[in-house]
Parts: sequence; structure tokens; C-alpha cells
Amino acid sequence: MALRGVWQLQKLVVSYCNWGGSSRGIRAFMETELPAFQEKNPQLEIVPELIRGQHPHLKAFYKNKNQRVVCVKNMTPDDILLHATRLRNALGRKVVKLKTRHVTKHPSVQGTWSTALKF
Amino acid sequence: MATRRCLHALRHHAAAAVAVRHSVGRSFSALASHSGGSLSRSVLELETTPFRIGHLGASSSWRCYCSGKTPEDEGSEDEYEESEEEEGEIDEVSDGEIAAGPGLQKRDYTPEEKEAVANEIGYKVIGPLERSDRVFKPYEPVFAVVQVGSHQFKVSNRDCIFTERLKFCEVNDKIILNKVLLLGSPTQTIVGRPNVPDAAVHAVVEEHALDAKVIIFKKKRRKNYRRTKGHRQELTKLRITDIQGIEKPEIPEPKKPVKIKVKRDTDKQEKVAVPA
Repeated sequence: MALRGVWQLQKLVVSYCNWGGSSRGIRAFMETELPAFQEKNPQLEIVPELIRGQHPHLKAFYKNKNQRVVCVKNMTPDDILLHATRLRNALGRKVVKLKTRHVTKHPSVQGTWSTALKF
Repeated sequence: MATRRCLHALRHHAAAAVAVRHSVGRSFSALASHSGGSLSRSVLELETTPFRIGHLGASSSWRCYCSGKTPEDEGSEDEYEESEEEEGEIDEVSDGEIAAGPGLQKRDYTPEEKEAVANEIGYKVIGPLERSDRVFKPYEPVFAVVQVGSHQFKVSNRDCIFTERLKFCEVNDKIILNKVLLLGSPTQTIVGRPNVPDAAVHAVVEEHALDAKVIIFKKKRRKNYRRTKGHRQELTKLRITDIQGIEKPEIPEPKKPVKIKVKRDTDKQEKVAVPA
């Protein structure tokens, strides 16, 4: 996710519990894959956070002040890596159904056609 | 019932294989390696072991290759089932070949395979965007009709298109779209037959994201049948940066007004003259 070359994801908060079983995957993720993920994305600030007694989740903070929370309870480290990569790949925009697949500010180059136009 | 359906399908495949085998030959194996569809897989297996057709009823080693539905049966069933669905979902639902969910499609491509597959879809990855690249230019009145996969877009400089997920590129990668069908400017139009050779459209990958969830709801009334399925399509957003292959009109630079400095000695002389 990069708008004109600028990465949009600023901070990723990795919240986990050191006792609960639903955090087993994310604890393994933090040992195995998180360092590599951190090296691949030096522009990203990754903050591990301990929340005891709660399910683990990933919180993403974007440059347009948008937050996205993904609950990763009972997930394998591979799945958590996939979710983290998806959060990094996305812009912070709201997830709505696309109106058009082509967004442009200059719809016509040679002039808009009308019935009165004669070649 | 299932055995009879499998037999029928097998005979159908066998007839096709025998007819095609002589003409096509090796290309089928290449096709089968690309597509994961059951039809080509079963045809390939029948090709390599043609003698099995004779032993259909007898031996216990005969296996039914159609574990699910055949493409013919599936087409007719889906038409019947889609009475209650939204319009847009028909393509996604009836696309069920036996091949697979996302798990089975992860294969390791060699770099040559990647380039070949990417080229077929219509793009080529150049490399990551460097900070020193001045890629984002001001708007130029030039457009191109470009094809990515099965969709065509009329693009100009600085606009964004959403395509299906492009596999071999990361975010912030530079891409060249090589399937250009038409180029246009205010004075000139170049029409390709079907492509314009030596034309290139440069783009940058902005994001890989999931579309909003659509719910596929199937119901058969009075039959106690109701199914709900959620689907999120994976999309790639590309920002078009440059179109090459056509002469671009030159934009005249706005002329700055030339300021002439005049020294006002005459005023001072007048001021001195007055009080006296």
C-alpha cells in the first residue's frame, strides 16, 4: 500500500497474551516470522503489546487516521503472516463496494461525444 | 448412478482424446500443466494409458476420475440454482471446476514461468520503485486502451485502475502493460491490429486489497434449502504513470509577465521643486 510511493501503514500493534491458548499461534509468529517481516518493512513501526486474558489481535494505524483491527485468535503463524501482509498491502480507505474499476479526473482526451458533434 | 455418470463422462473424454491425440500431441501436456481443471487432467491420463478404455467393466484397478461434477452437468445445475442470486455472482459461482480452493493453487513458479504467465495476462514487472524515480508526471492529454487479463480499460496519465490480483508483483513495483489496443491524442489516433507493437503503458502498483464482502445467498422455497456464502475478491490497484508509443502534444509553458524596473528620479525632483 503506497500512495504515490509513500507507504500508508504507519504502525502495527501486535497484541497477544502470554497465558492463553488462543495466542499460541501469535506467540510462535512473534518468534519465527515477525523479525523477518520487520526487516522487510523498515518504514513500519511494529509494537508488541501484552494484553493478559484477552484474545490476540493485530491493530493497523494508517496515515489517513484509519484503524483496522484483525482478530487472530487460534490462527497458525502462516495465517497471521498473511493477515499482516494484507494489512501492509492495503491503503487505509474504508472497505466499500467499488463504484467503478477506473478512477480518473480527465475522462476525455479528444473531447466528449454528443449527438450534435460532426466529424 | 455415480458410476454410470462417471462411465458416460469417461467415454466422452476418451472419444475426445482419441480424436484429438493425433493432431495435438504434446501441447495437451503443456495445457494440463497450466490449468488445474479436471477435464484436461483426465484427458491427459487417458492419453498416456489408452488401453484402459478396453478394460472398463472388468478390472478392479479402474478408477473413476470424476470425483465431483463434470463440467457439463455442473453448467445445467448452476443455471437452475441461481434463481435467487444477485446478478453479479453468476460468474463466480458457476466457475466451479473441481480444481480448487486457494490452497491448491500455490505452486512455485520458476522465473521464466512467472514471466510467461505474466506476459499472457498482459503485464511485465520491472522492479521496485526507487525514491529517485520521478515517475509521477503532470497530466498529459494522451490515452490508451489497455488489456489486463480479460478486462480492457481506457487509461490516461495519473489515473487508477482496479484489476484482478496480479500475482507476481509487490506493492510499489513498476509495471509495463504491453497489451495496448489503441493509442490516442488530441491530434492522432493509432489503432492496433489487434495490438499496437512497441507501445507500452507504465504503471505502479499502489495496493493489493480485498473488495467488500458480497453475500451469495441461495434458497429453494418450500424445500428446506438455504445456503449463505461470503466472498471477497482480491484486487490490485494500479496507477498509470506514462504512455509511450504516440507523439505527445507539447504544452506551451505559461509566460511569466516581465517586470521592468523604472527608477523614479523625476518624482524626487518634483517634490523638491514644490515646497520651494
